[in-house]
Amino acid sequence: MDFQLTREQQMLKDMVRDFAEKEIAPKIPSYEEPEGDFPFEFQRRMGELGLIGLIAPKQYGGNELGHVAQVIATEEIARVYAPFGSHTRGFMLTTYLISRYGTEEQKKKYVPRLVKGEIAGCMTLTEPTGGSDMLAIQTKAVREGSVYVVNGRKTMISRYTANDIFATTTMTGERATTTLIAEKGMPGLTLGRRDNFIGCMTRAYPCGEVIFDNVRIPVENRIGEEGKGLGPIVSTVAAIGRIGGAAIALGIAQSAFEVAAKYAKERHLYGKPLAELQALRFWLAEMDLKIRAARLSLYYAAWLLDQGKSPRETAKEGCGAKYLCSKTAIDACLKTIELLGGYGTTPEFGVITQFKTALDTVNAAGSDQVMLQTISSELVGG
Amino acid sequence: MNIVVCIKQTPDPEHFSKITIDPTRGTIQREGIPSVINPLDRHALEEGLRLREKFSGKVTAISMGPPQAREVLELALAMGVDEAILLCDKAFAGADTLATAYPLAGAIKKCGTIDLVICGNMSVDGATGQVGPQLAELLDIPHITFVSNVEFRGRRSLVVKRELEYGYLKTEVELPVLLCVVKSINEYRLPTVIGIMEAMRKEIKTWAACDIEATSETIGLAGSPTVVTNIYERKVERKREILKGTPEEMARQTAAKLHELGVL
Amino acid sequence: MSNEVWVWAEQRNGQLMGVSLEILNTGSQLAQKLGREVVAVLIGYQISGLAAELVAYGANKVYTIDKPELSLYQSDVYAKILADLVQKDEPTILLLGATNVGMDLAPRVAAKLKTGLTAHCADLRIDDVGGKPLLVADVPGFGGNMVVSIACPERRPQMATVRPGVMERPSKESTRKGAIIPVEIEIRDKDFRARTVEIVEQKPEGAPLEAAEIVVAGGWGLKSVGGFKFIEELASVLGGSVAGTRPAVDANWVTEDRMIGSSGKTVAPKLFISVGASGATHFTTGFLKSKTILAVDQNPKAPIFEVCDIGICGDVAKVVPCLIGEIKKIKAG
Repeated sequence: MDFQLTREQQMLKDMVRDFAEKEIAPKIPSYEEPEGDFPFEFQRRMGELGLIGLIAPKQYGGNELGHVAQVIATEEIARVYAPFGSHTRGFMLTTYLISRYGTEEQKKKYVPRLVKGEIAGCMTLTEPTGGSDMLAIQTKAVREGSVYVVNGRKTMISRYTANDIFATTTMTGERATTTLIAEKGMPGLTLGRRDNFIGCMTRAYPCGEVIFDNVRIPVENRIGEEGKGLGPIVSTVAAIGRIGGAAIALGIAQSAFEVAAKYAKERHLYGKPLAELQALRFWLAEMDLKIRAARLSLYYAAWLLDQGKSPRETAKEGCGAKYLCSKTAIDACLKTIELLGGYGTTPEFGVITQFKTALDTVNAAGSDQVMLQTISSELVGG
Repeated sequence: MNIVVCIKQTPDPEHFSKITIDPTRGTIQREGIPSVINPLDRHALEEGLRLREKFSGKVTAISMGPPQAREVLELALAMGVDEAILLCDKAFAGADTLATAYPLAGAIKKCGTIDLVICGNMSVDGATGQVGPQLAELLDIPHITFVSNVEFRGRRSLVVKRELEYGYLKTEVELPVLLCVVKSINEYRLPTVIGIMEAMRKEIKTWAACDIEATSETIGLAGSPTVVTNIYERKVERKREILKGTPEEMARQTAAKLHELGVL
Repeated sequence: MSNEVWVWAEQRNGQLMGVSLEILNTGSQLAQKLGREVVAVLIGYQISGLAAELVAYGANKVYTIDKPELSLYQSDVYAKILADLVQKDEPTILLLGATNVGMDLAPRVAAKLKTGLTAHCADLRIDDVGGKPLLVADVPGFGGNMVVSIACPERRPQMATVRPGVMERPSKESTRKGAIIPVEIEIRDKDFRARTVEIVEQKPEGAPLEAAEIVVAGGWGLKSVGGFKFIEELASVLGGSVAGTRPAVDANWVTEDRMIGSSGKTVAPKLFISVGASGATHFTTGFLKSKTILAVDQNPKAPIFEVCDIGICGDVAKVVPCLIGEIKKIKAG
């Protein structure tokens, strides 16, 4: 077993770290403002550097560096600013969905521009009635000749004001789903209320409702077959969303740990650094070992995908990694905030900023309970 | 335009406090300390790449170091340089700045006619800033240090801004010249994923002392006019001397201490 | 072979650089130890007055090379002149100030002479190394965590550069006597491969905080004494820069670019003084690498006292004016 990163992967890690620290970190206070433009320059730079193309085919402008690369890049960005880690996952989700499951025309039309960061999209599935329970959605698509007429209301759509395309899952019949690419500007497609969960209250990460009022979407925009729209979505979430979400959580955990370790060494109480108090030493040691365990678990899950295993074959590893990473992130953030004392929740330390995303990451792309359900199905059926 | 950029690998400055001395051998222990490219060298590479974009030509990156120094050359290739050369030989080890300049000069001479050599103004570990000017002397070309701006008037004539502590000197020079650049000269590019993947496919030439006709008197320990007679660690522990007395007394004591420390 | 101790004296715009006086002092001490003379080499234009100053500061001899083309620093020609003089006279030691110019010149000269050069010496002394009296230089390395002692046993001259402010200045005595020797040299146009055509000096508007040698920072504790005027006075009398904590910025006592801490600037000056700041970690992290830390606060339990070298616990309104007074006394006498 070779546990080393390849030179390429190590150089990628160094480059993304530099990018995050030099170009993202200084602007965080600005990104944290409640109002303002979506940070499109980040999207563009991701494209320029080739980071969206890590999981896209060379044929359409990607570089296919792979899933371990995906995880490395996502972790490094999330480590500096978790909401951008979420965007990283989001850019890759849409790119992967279309480049894997789209028609040739769709691939040619969208993928090169997605890879370059010229356009971005989002998987548009969640509704008030269902998220984890994917068949509980109620948005309907009715075939009328060469178009589908779509009516419904989607919620919690990431980047809802900044997306160019929406990969929308609809019901076309009893237990029959169909996924269609809606484009911004299509008549009847409007943006509704902005969400107010904790991680989306800044201009860095706007989320909200997307409303379909008799939107006519051409049949050419259908991904996969009619009635079988969930398959590509589930597979994409399995391939990119799970390990992507895990990577975001891992980056958050890592950032919290670094703050804790630095503070423990510098802060003096009772005549010595905090780092000499045994209880706190144990906290740091636990944080460190949990993060390293979570990282190994995640890299292994990503590595299996790079070896050609399918997301279904690696469900246990992928779900296990997401579960471990998200639990570790929450734990590390809480412990660090406690360690920091009264100032723990100030923006200066950055932990609370990261923690907001950690709370959301727990539920996105499959909550912890869904992860355990998937693993237990693999183990004992049912 | 034929450009050479000299780069080096140094211990990561973030980890300097972890560097220790081997008590038995009196040498510096750098094992386990992560290494980085000398920060100013990235600016040097960037300047070379920009000039190639402007004038077309070739950029070669050269580094003298142990086998691990390949890593900085890989980064240079990922940024876009055309060729990378590693000068690696046990005979080079233990060199001071002059004995480092000699092999670099030998390697550059082997590269043919060079128009421009660019270096970072100094490295974070040694921080002498000496290799550049010494290299220029061995190549018999003029050198300019603290370069913060380069303006070409035509293809061979430049006007260079060299930083002073408060202000600058304006210097005119013709190619060939060696420039030592400071941070403010440019913002360096990050390698893209494609750049990284292509760098892995390129070959890094490795040259030993025999490849550059270096004589043993000019390289390594033997070629170094300076020697280290002693090394010791210096840990900073705060004194925590809390004064007592009236404000006047404490002020007097403090002023006296500051005077002793030479800060007045 | 004169075996003298030589010092390259730098002048800019008709003034001697302070570091040149400092290394002249060091050179004198080294020369005394060796029983030799200390010689200054001065290159420039219309420099006879400066040469006389160098004598007053202790130079036994001053070689002057005085030409209009040399009024600004010309790297090729200065290096050639200095190297030629050295080769003729064979001093045992050559010191240069580590200004941006000195750092440009010294290595070139060392390479011409194929001799050893040690940069940024914190200390210079004559030590017996293997039976020979050698110049030994102490150099801080790796960010100051290590000190390396370096010597140049065989080649000559033994060269070293010293940063401004490290060594002490000599006293100026107009009664001192020394020889001022103009040196005639021939320089041709083609010797100037790189030609400096202009010097532009920019007086700093309050030095950038990171470059300041002394920083005085104030915190919330100054509220009770009406603000920052103590900080400004103390900084002024010390020739230092003013800085503050986040609360000080919020109170508009200092601008945001003068904020020290994790969301502000990190500094490592020779002397850092904290007044009226309790010492929260996100503040102290911004100055932990300072050479000396002095803290003044009224709360005996303030964490700032854990990270200082000298601590004064008392009423800021009383302590700081006293301190300013005492400092003024020392500086005057």
